Amino acid sequence: MSEGLLAELTILDLTEDAAGPFCTKLLADYGARVIKVERPGAGDPARRVGPFPDAARAGPSPDAGALFLYLNTSKEGITLDVTTSTGRLLLLDLVEHADALVEGFAPGHLEALGLGVEAIHRRNPRLLVTSVTAFGQSGPYADRRWSDLTAYASGGQMSLMGDAGRQPLMPAGYQASYQAGLHAFGATLAGLYSVGVIEAGQQIDIAAMECMAATLELYLPDFVYRQSDVLTKRRGNLTSATIGIVPCADGYLGLHTMPRNFPAFARLMDAEWMLEDERFRDARSRLIHNDEFLAVVYGWAAGVTREEAYRRSAEVRCPLAAVFSIPEVLQQPHLRERASFRDLDDPRAGRLTYPGPPFRPAEGGWELRPAPRLGEHNASAYGELLGLAPGDLVRLRATGVV
Amino acid sequence: MERLPLLGTRVLDLSMVWAGPYGTRLLADMGAEVIKVESPGAWDMLRSLSLLPRETERAYNRSAFFNHYNRNKYGCAIDLARPRGRELALRLVALSDVVVENYRSDVLRRLGLTYEEMRAARPDVILVSMPSHGLSGPDAARTAYGTHMEQLGGLASLSGYADGPPQKSGISYGDPMAGATAAAAAIAALLYRRRTGRGQHIEVAQWEAFLPLVGEFFVEYSMTGREPPRRATRHASMAPHGAYPCQGDDAWIAIAVASDAEFAALCDAIGAPGLARDERFADVVSRHRHQDALDEIVSSWTRERSHREAADRLQAAGVAASPVLTIPDLLADPHLAERGFWEEVTHGEAGVWPMDGPAWRFSLTPPHVRLPAPCFAEHNDYVFRDLLGLREDEVAALEREGVTSRAPVAGQDE
Repeated sequence: MSEGLLAELTILDLTEDAAGPFCTKLLADYGARVIKVERPGAGDPARRVGPFPDAARAGPSPDAGALFLYLNTSKEGITLDVTTSTGRLLLLDLVEHADALVEGFAPGHLEALGLGVEAIHRRNPRLLVTSVTAFGQSGPYADRRWSDLTAYASGGQMSLMGDAGRQPLMPAGYQASYQAGLHAFGATLAGLYSVGVIEAGQQIDIAAMECMAATLELYLPDFVYRQSDVLTKRRGNLTSATIGIVPCADGYLGLHTMPRNFPAFARLMDAEWMLEDERFRDARSRLIHNDEFLAVVYGWAAGVTREEAYRRSAEVRCPLAAVFSIPEVLQQPHLRERASFRDLDDPRAGRLTYPGPPFRPAEGGWELRPAPRLGEHNASAYGELLGLAPGDLVRLRATGVV
Repeated sequence: MERLPLLGTRVLDLSMVWAGPYGTRLLADMGAEVIKVESPGAWDMLRSLSLLPRETERAYNRSAFFNHYNRNKYGCAIDLARPRGRELALRLVALSDVVVENYRSDVLRRLGLTYEEMRAARPDVILVSMPSHGLSGPDAARTAYGTHMEQLGGLASLSGYADGPPQKSGISYGDPMAGATAAAAAIAALLYRRRTGRGQHIEVAQWEAFLPLVGEFFVEYSMTGREPPRRATRHASMAPHGAYPCQGDDAWIAIAVASDAEFAALCDAIGAPGLARDERFADVVSRHRHQDALDEIVSSWTRERSHREAADRLQAAGVAASPVLTIPDLLADPHLAERGFWEEVTHGEAGVWPMDGPAWRFSLTPPHVRLPAPCFAEHNDYVFRDLLGLREDEVAALEREGVTSRAPVAGQDE
């Protein structure tokens, strides 16, 4: 295994739940040394989000839910109560050994503990501090409580998802948090690059709301530019006859073609006659005759299976997707041949399947290691970085600091 | 000179549509000099999605979709399919730190612009390739759009109303995620190069870049052997959890209650403190079981108020709640306004309008919109004469031969 792409970096990770941990997971899987700092006793609440490993295998593991095991791969885990004075001093000692600190507390929390950016920079002026929250460090919503759902609602994407007239939807999982986490990952790397340019650490403020409001496709640009709200409404599963999810003989197909793909789409549907039909001559006339176009699409889809459509779409070079379930994604020959998923033996849960690298560097590796047990690396991390002896840790444990 | 994180790096941007250009916009926001290359006969498709009247002159320079995702970039026109165009591209590669492309997987080979050929021009170049299905494997020749990723990746199958079909999200979600992944990959490679002196070829298969967004479902399935359930806006452990109707046309509030204490606070806030003692709602398990009844009670309170008023009342009580903000709501939102999120941009041909500013906020090197998106071929002179040092007659000859041009060839994407 080659050295990790980000092997030279050490990251202090004070995040919980999904947003910050997604950012630090990406850093850790690419080889950064990520030290996750958890509260003694309870640890990250994500540990208690089920499902959980089978109790028969390794005894009950209520601190090893699937979400936590996924989001905390390749990290070291230590415990530290930063609300105690000793804990605060130990964190400041750790700061001297780190390149970046990632946190997701309510704004002002660290400052109230004497661990604000200024205090941290007094100990390590080159440290980068990335904050990942729903609303950011300033502004009227900064102190709002949030969950993934309410963050998603704030960013505009939810207002566009679902059927007209029904309640708006969110996609499965933690998509607001992950968007913030992915952006925090890129921004943290840019920040680390900047430390070598400006010779100083700085603070990065990532708000999920802004990450989402910046990615509203053409719907927001069109609204602000043409001042028309026609594209700001929910349109269910059909954006138009050429973009959407439609039922087929054994499931659903995902359609998305642009004007340049129209001939291939017509061939895919064995409807070459459309190419000669005035109603479908160009993009504008196809839009005017959208319902007639859609009738052709529905008629074709009803008679074709996902596999037939997907195979034929490659032959005629028409972009198309089948709607795959989670087990079906895992069985895709393309992903299997590319080893897009990786199995990992977790000491609590046995063999688990994880997505592989989101990008593949030719040099500098990506590797998964199991998520840490609570405090698993206390001895090694405190020993190596701060020179604490086992006796010191016993004393700290007795006073509840670790 | 303004201090920005990626100041001094140059990015040659061969990407089109949304995923690639969103990624290079992030790099441009960070201060990289991004040079976007379009071909006179194969220009960025977003230019044709202007939604302006057919008779609009030079509508390709007024597409808001294009102009939002290509701000802070320079633009030039080169036909890469011609030998002389390829040669110009390689001379630009020699001056670039990063090249980004999102062609179909076989296109760089056809153009004679493989990583090996680029490396001959610039030994430490970083090439970021982002084909939809990757550079290898049985589906490598396929193409896809951003909407396809949530279908191929399993997200659509898990999303939707309880009684309905799999549901698409409201945007081409795979695109910005692939773009953000590619931008991060490019910066990671710049850090690696600073440490080792070596560039490299990075592959961002957009399908694979999407899988981490649904990663816990694969872990869950491998742990339990059971397909994860579809939950619409409900949650495995929280209740109430969902979108509730408010006063007004299509106005909604999202509410998420994580604990008994928060539920008691919610009951107080909606003027029904007795509910917290109702045995149907005594703990999270019972609330989960009686969600339909609970949702009806919460809705009867939210229906009487605007989504903003309801959210303010619940937040004051310590309950996680947010209005479901629409696009018009966002433009009028006091939080984004106070944070200075919207920047007014002036574009030479398209005019003046507000645009979302960079979401990567830096305390010492704050990024912002420095340049409007380029008109087609706007920076030909900067690229050909200032950067590559061509003489006026040489540029004129390139225009005559159709290797470059000042205007796009009409008729594309109609």
